[in-house]
Amino acid sequence: MNLGLDEHVNLDSLFHRWEPRCKLIGLIALIFAFSFVQDLRLLPAMLAITSILYALSQLPLSFLLTRLRYPGYFILILVILLPFLTGTNILVHIGPFALRQEGLLASLLIITKFVSILTIGLVLFSTAPFLTTIKAIRSLGLPSILSDMTFLSYRYLNQIGDDLATMETAMGLRGFRVRRLCVTVLTTLTSLAGTILVRSYERSERVYKAMVLRGYGGSMPLHDMFHTSPRDAMILGGIFLTAVGFVIVELIFRGLGG
Amino acid sequence: MHIPDGILPAAVSIAGYATTGVATYYSLRKINQKENPPEGIPKASLLTSAFFVASWIHIPIPPTSVHLVLNGLLGVVLGYYAFPSILIGLFFQAVLFQHGGLTTLGVNAIVMGMPALLASFIFRLRNFGGKESQLRTGIFGFLAGAFGLGIAALFALLLLIYTIPTYLDVEVERASIYALTLAHLPLMVLEGAFTAMVALFLQRVKPELLEG
Amino acid sequence: MEYMGTQVNSAHFNRSALAVSGLSFSYPDKAGVLQNVNLDVSTGERVGLIGPNGAGKTTFFLLVCGVLKPGSGEIVLFGKPMTFGGFQSEVGMVFQDPDDQLFAPSVRDDIAFGPQNLKLSKEEVEARVEKALSTTGVSELSNRPPHHLSSGEKRMVSIAGVLAMHPQMVIYDEPSASLDIRSRRRLIRFLQESHKTTLIASHDLELILEVCSRVILMDEGGIVADGIPSEVMRDVALMESHGLERPHSLVPHAEPHH
Repeated sequence: MNLGLDEHVNLDSLFHRWEPRCKLIGLIALIFAFSFVQDLRLLPAMLAITSILYALSQLPLSFLLTRLRYPGYFILILVILLPFLTGTNILVHIGPFALRQEGLLASLLIITKFVSILTIGLVLFSTAPFLTTIKAIRSLGLPSILSDMTFLSYRYLNQIGDDLATMETAMGLRGFRVRRLCVTVLTTLTSLAGTILVRSYERSERVYKAMVLRGYGGSMPLHDMFHTSPRDAMILGGIFLTAVGFVIVELIFRGLGG
Repeated sequence: MHIPDGILPAAVSIAGYATTGVATYYSLRKINQKENPPEGIPKASLLTSAFFVASWIHIPIPPTSVHLVLNGLLGVVLGYYAFPSILIGLFFQAVLFQHGGLTTLGVNAIVMGMPALLASFIFRLRNFGGKESQLRTGIFGFLAGAFGLGIAALFALLLLIYTIPTYLDVEVERASIYALTLAHLPLMVLEGAFTAMVALFLQRVKPELLEG
Repeated sequence: MEYMGTQVNSAHFNRSALAVSGLSFSYPDKAGVLQNVNLDVSTGERVGLIGPNGAGKTTFFLLVCGVLKPGSGEIVLFGKPMTFGGFQSEVGMVFQDPDDQLFAPSVRDDIAFGPQNLKLSKEEVEARVEKALSTTGVSELSNRPPHHLSSGEKRMVSIAGVLAMHPQMVIYDEPSASLDIRSRRRLIRFLQESHKTTLIASHDLELILEVCSRVILMDEGGIVADGIPSEVMRDVALMESHGLERPHSLVPHAEPHH
């Protein structure tokens, strides 16, 4: 099973070369700054910064569009409903429904923030191998239990996913078709889920024994050393200032009465 | 159940992260009190992946199909590990599948993780006042699964309704709460049934998985 | 390259079980897994499939079962052209890892799974389960969870689950992997007594020698040799050029010890 995240890690952009810990701090600050924005006047700037950063990352546009598709459906539903449900200023009547100004503007805000945050998130996580990013988070202070669990879960996710696919194939080859919801189908599916749990549990016991035999005592060794160069720090400074800029302008707009 | 980015105010997202931090701290404390914490880590890790994968199983509800959340079952099987497990699962979903959100990771962890811990407590009640039996496992499994989903849905709903732009008039607000609650009742029954049946399966095949 | 050895005289088998012509298949990330494969198997034949890992044996099986869709070519099973995605009850496949196949809470439930999917009556299902249990010699395990069995027992139970569907052709993917000597001997005896059309992929060359009347050597997506097992496998140059070895029992010894 191919989770497809590390597809574009071998490109050579500014972001690919940026030291992972600085990248984490800088882009997460930017993401939260975007999430702080409520004033519509900042939206064009948000989109501009997002587009520039994505372009700089050299990630393909098709990648962004594919990744936007699935979560986009959920947001779309909300965004279509809001303009008809919230607000008191009615702009226009469409049949029995009234399109309201506040709802429309709220939708605009939500969708812009959503797309921007998701895009920056892709830049953050797709420009370095997933495991490197986890190591960076660990080196910034994540408790070792959490990082160990993340490593191991990720390592076995593909395998367990393959197990499920193979089991479903084997069931299909014995004539199983999921059509209606009845007791038999539910029994089969719960047995399938239960079997996946049992197999994973028993596999984990073997994994633990193998780890202990190689000296595991409760925390996996951290051997990736991260070095921050002056250039990395400068880029971090730039991104951080941008984030702070957004927050300050937003506060000013709020102070002025929006 | 997963709240995406862009909807909640930054203050709520940050509060979510703070609360998750506290909840994680307490969960890890409880985990370290057990006899052999390192042994639990591979188990919890692989079970995290297993639950992630198990939620991909399609349950047919004509004309479509649904994926279950299984946070109740996760609480039943993992006990205190349920919270870090859900946190990690949500992280994977946000980063690998763009499902859920990065700013809302903390909030989503509370929304799904607290009910999971509650489900684990509910399930533990089956041991009280009587010897172990299939009926008890089934009943408490059902309750754990149903409440796991129900409370998560309620949290998510209340959060969305009270933080979305407040031009919403009271009528619409009330109506949507009722409508969405109603929509979740059959799902609660389904999750309850699924959780009960898996619990019964595990009791037969690998009872130690139910010790949490 | 066709091996100019003695072809198996299939005159005394009268019907075609499997007729494959021009079969080609590629995976999205691996091209040419199977290239223009042609094969005819008659009813009642026991055919072994040997070759190095990656030769395409498992892929070939999945195509024959209708799980994968051919890139090109035709598959005809017992006179009926194969439709991809449908369920062909004439062919059953025993997977390499029994854990991928066994999922029900008891052995009896697992064996009954196939017949139940065929929508047979309760009595018929029971009868088939009993027959499958006794044929594979696992009757005393009928109420145990499959997860608690030894690998040999799991293997026989997974075979029972496929046999209960009364397939006309059974495919075995590495059936003797992980079996102890006694279980392996039991498996060989079982296979020798079977009259069904059988395809067996295996690295266990001695098993192929004991069980099969015909062997196919596959490598790099094609059939490289097709003939009597002892003759094909005696050819050292052939075997070694395709990543295999001549089985020990075929090595001429100065002091015969067989």
